[in-house]
Amino acid sequence: MIELRQLTKRYGEVAVVDGLSFDVRPGAVTGFLGPNGAGKTSTMRMILGLDRPTSGSATIGGRRYADLPMPLREVGALLDAHAVHPRRTAFDHLLSLAYGNGIGRRRVEEVLGLVGLADVAGRRPGGFSLGMKQRLGIAVALLGDPPVVLLDEPVNGLDPEGIRWIRTLTRSLAAQGRTVLLSSHLMSEMALTADHLVVIGRGRLIADTGLEAFVRSAARQAVLVRTPDAPRLASLLREAGAVVRPGAGGGLTVTGLSGAEIGGLAGAHGIVLHELTPWRASLEEAYLELTGDSVEFASSPAGAVS
Amino acid sequence: MTAYGVLRSEWVKFRSIRAMLGCLAGAVVAAGSYGYLFGMAAARDYLAAPAADRAAFDPTETAFRALVLVGVLISAAGALTVTSEYASGTMPVSVTAVPRRGLLLAGKGAVVALATLLTGPPLALLSLTLSQAALAARGVPSVGPGDPGVPGALLGAGLFTGLIGLYGMALGFLLRRSAGAVSLGTFLLVLPGMAGLFPEAVARWIVTWWPSAAGARLFAVHPGTEGLAPLAGAGVLAATVLGLLCAAAALFHRRDA
Ligand SMILES: Nc1ncnc2c1ncn2[C@@H]1O[C@H](COP(=O)(O)OP(=O)(O)OP(=O)(O)O)[C@@H](O)[C@H]1O
Ligand SMILES: [Mg+2]
Repeated sequence: MIELRQLTKRYGEVAVVDGLSFDVRPGAVTGFLGPNGAGKTSTMRMILGLDRPTSGSATIGGRRYADLPMPLREVGALLDAHAVHPRRTAFDHLLSLAYGNGIGRRRVEEVLGLVGLADVAGRRPGGFSLGMKQRLGIAVALLGDPPVVLLDEPVNGLDPEGIRWIRTLTRSLAAQGRTVLLSSHLMSEMALTADHLVVIGRGRLIADTGLEAFVRSAARQAVLVRTPDAPRLASLLREAGAVVRPGAGGGLTVTGLSGAEIGGLAGAHGIVLHELTPWRASLEEAYLELTGDSVEFASSPAGAVS
Repeated sequence: MTAYGVLRSEWVKFRSIRAMLGCLAGAVVAAGSYGYLFGMAAARDYLAAPAADRAAFDPTETAFRALVLVGVLISAAGALTVTSEYASGTMPVSVTAVPRRGLLLAGKGAVVALATLLTGPPLALLSLTLSQAALAARGVPSVGPGDPGVPGALLGAGLFTGLIGLYGMALGFLLRRSAGAVSLGTFLLVLPGMAGLFPEAVARWIVTWWPSAAGARLFAVHPGTEGLAPLAGAGVLAATVLGLLCAAAALFHRRDA
């Protein structure tokens, strides 16, 4: 379990991580979300003892990272897949990290097999593709068979097969009871991988909740209704307190009433319905709605580019 | 993290830095070629000198002059063990593996010191052999590795390169960039060679007390009465290197990795 308490990092006047408190629990994949520059990487670096917090604390199982006697056996991390010495072979890269943590050559070979790099163990990563470097980074994270795993954008630049591999891997790590903190900007992927979400913006906590609950709470639940008698149904629904807008293909998008309530109302007034579809927002929509205010580097609308 | 494990880790890193080979090859070339050239120059001076000056000629003075230039490459090698990690972005990975940064620095230091300590005497022997060969070829008096005081100077050369390796490593931690650490390291090392550019009093101070000049007393075969005693000179260099290492450790500990 990872525990953050009022974790804060300032660079001069700017707080890039600002009083962040949350727990990352074992047995689940916790998605770590936030716009560019929100402070995800900075938070992970403080958990790993790379950056010194301005105030507050980050502990793993109650201890600071720097106090772990064999850190790679307790926490595995992938921060930057490009962080390999271009001329040091994949095997030596892992071995140089293994020895310091009392890990032997056998485990290095094992973990290279696990990430599918056994055949290139003796090659220099200078010529590796991004996907191969990501796999090497994952191998570093798994080297000590740690109960806690932090992955910062592990699927960045991976092909669909690689993305699926990471998904399966992180799911299985969580299923084994490990604590997994995973950051990514790919919402569709996160929706498939995470059980729990921690969302931050401008260094502050925006949400710390289950994936389901997050999507439900953030996005308006709407129901798409199609009927030959749209004007009449619309006014009945408005009287009942719903917000009704014209939807796609001549239908109505109704918010504020459930599908059952709409169906009941239509039945009571003898209105024929052709379609009654509860519409759930995607994680992406829920995320964009929630973080809309904390985006630092917003792009202009597509139309503005002339 | 065990000290032995960290040492092995650092050795794996050390041997896979390609530039290390370049530094070693460069050091061999520098020791040999400068040794020979300094020998030739000394021979020319000897033959041009009046008899009275010839009597005072000490062939051992040219024997190890190349070592200060060899030191430039040794210092670069030391710096590279650190700056290559910053350049490739692996320092954060190394620090997550060994978060006790003092231990990490000590492990690196032990590997650098050992490697550079061991290369010193063979390089000194190479410089000695070629410089003395250049003297002997012109019929100028020369010495061999077995002559009195020479074995001690060869060992002193190891101590010198070992300290210079650590000096380079400390600069690597302080500056984090290869270009900066190597050029500053070089400049400070060869400064005594430019002492003649300074006013007399300053020049005298530099050739006596400047750490690289003081450390060079370690391989003086006949120290004479001018300048520091070999051990005192070694002490000046060692104290300087220790100071740099402490500054490096403090900064490495405090800075974000
Ligand atoms: N050493 C530093 N000095 C000054 N500012 C920094 C430093 N490191 C990070 N920052 C700033 O901290 C902020 C948070 O950066 P961080 O990398 O943690 O964001 P992130 O959530 O990981 O973003 P992304 O999704 O783009 O990876 C950014 O605005 C960045 O400019
Ligand atoms: Mg980031």
